[in-house]
Amino acid sequence: MAAPPSLRDPLFEVEHLSLAYPGASNHSPVSILNDVSVGVERGDALVLVGPSGSGKSTLLRCLNRLVEPTAGRVQFDGRDIRSLDPRELRRRAALVMQTPVLFEGSVRDNLLVRPPDASGDFSPGRLASALLDVGLDPELLDRDAATLSGGEKQRVTIARALLGDPQALLLDEPTSALDPPNVALVAETVSRLRERYQLTIVAVTHQPDLVRRLGGGLLYLVGGVVLAYERADGAVSDSRLHAFLSGAQASPPTRHP
Amino acid sequence: MTASGAVLDLSLPQLGLALLLVGVIIAISIYQRLGIAGDAVVGTLRAMVQLYLVGLILAVVFRAARWYWVLLILVVMTAVAAQAATGRLGKPLPGGGVIAALALTVSTAVTLFYVIGVVVRVRPWYEPQYIIPIAGMILGSAMTSAALAGDRLQSDLRSRADEVEARLALGFSGREAVQPVVRAALRAAMIPTVNGMMTVGLVQLPGMMTGQILAGSSPLLAIKYQLVVVFMQAAATAIAAMLFVRLAVARYLTPAHQFTRSRL
Repeated sequence: MAAPPSLRDPLFEVEHLSLAYPGASNHSPVSILNDVSVGVERGDALVLVGPSGSGKSTLLRCLNRLVEPTAGRVQFDGRDIRSLDPRELRRRAALVMQTPVLFEGSVRDNLLVRPPDASGDFSPGRLASALLDVGLDPELLDRDAATLSGGEKQRVTIARALLGDPQALLLDEPTSALDPPNVALVAETVSRLRERYQLTIVAVTHQPDLVRRLGGGLLYLVGGVVLAYERADGAVSDSRLHAFLSGAQASPPTRHP
Repeated sequence: MTASGAVLDLSLPQLGLALLLVGVIIAISIYQRLGIAGDAVVGTLRAMVQLYLVGLILAVVFRAARWYWVLLILVVMTAVAAQAATGRLGKPLPGGGVIAALALTVSTAVTLFYVIGVVVRVRPWYEPQYIIPIAGMILGSAMTSAALAGDRLQSDLRSRADEVEARLALGFSGREAVQPVVRAALRAAMIPTVNGMMTVGLVQLPGMMTGQILAGSSPLLAIKYQLVVVFMQAAATAIAAMLFVRLAVARYLTPAHQFTRSRL
């Protein structure tokens, strides 16, 4: 397993994380994650890659404690996440899901979907600027959310995540349900927002474009096990990344020191 | 049986003639190859055996009129109803039997206490002629309600899992995140009862009222009892659905506001 490089100012530290679901009667437990360790610097990006079923989405959901690991721990901003209120943690590390979930009502209604005790600025001006942030026209605020295109919906969910002023964005294949022009738009949006708000980003993706735009660390997961960790900034060869992202894990990347 | 003595007793040959009516469903099933002729035969036999057994037991209990016999019968009825309420769920609900038993016991006990003790004022409270049929009707409503609510809860938690997760990810508590699903399940359980109140008497005469009229009661007395029955069934439906859904949905949530999808 790749040892996590020592971090100067980590936002996330994942230490020996394992997750297994109890198997059906007479079956052994199903291992989803096995002794995963990785860290993310504040303001940096980490991309989780690997074939489907390798535990990427589960690992992502362990970071905001939507999923509880069976062993190991996750630290957020220097604290074990089990010592934080999960609701507060999830506001600070906002998740964008693969299939955009929009609720009944207008785009405005959707941006305003908040827990009763949520703090933050949800003024009309802020909502409009949140839409501009993700490249959408503020006139969309009064549109019925159901009439938006797939790409627009995904960008609305990103805007909704940003309105909580998170420190981190957790992206679970944010572009996999989109067509190529929208993939590029969302990838561009994410990397621009990261710059503007110094967001820490952890992303599960199969899109080489998004991986390259984000840079940062690349964690190769297969069967819940870390196969390799490397920096994506220039060091990663395009063909190797491409082979891996397209699921050709027959030739996995070599372990990095 | 009643003061008016208007009840015609049925002889066994007459019951045999009634049995011929079942032949219609069996004949149509065979003719149209519906494949339910076997079930219809089994259902017919079960109906005869079950009702005769119940009749025999009730005859004994009515004669003895002891509170502990009545209580025993109520417990058995509740256990059967709890089993039936969760038996047909798509995937077994973890701890479903206990949850159903609790929801049915509480909803029935509360409603029964009010109807027997406050409304009808039966003395003694365990007078079998009143408490057993009334408890049966309350339990029937509570059972249907819990079954409808449970079924809707499970299917909606499955189909709307992303929605629940999205709410959790936005910082909602587990309870807040499932509230729309809970509401849908409660509506599914209660709407048939509310709709039933709209049409009662217009489309068909309720079974109890029919029975009372057949047994010689005046229709005006029968409707008064029927109104009590309709109202108590509405209350039992609501209490059972609420308790069942609240307890059941908690099986899919953790104290850390997590939604355990894998249990669905």
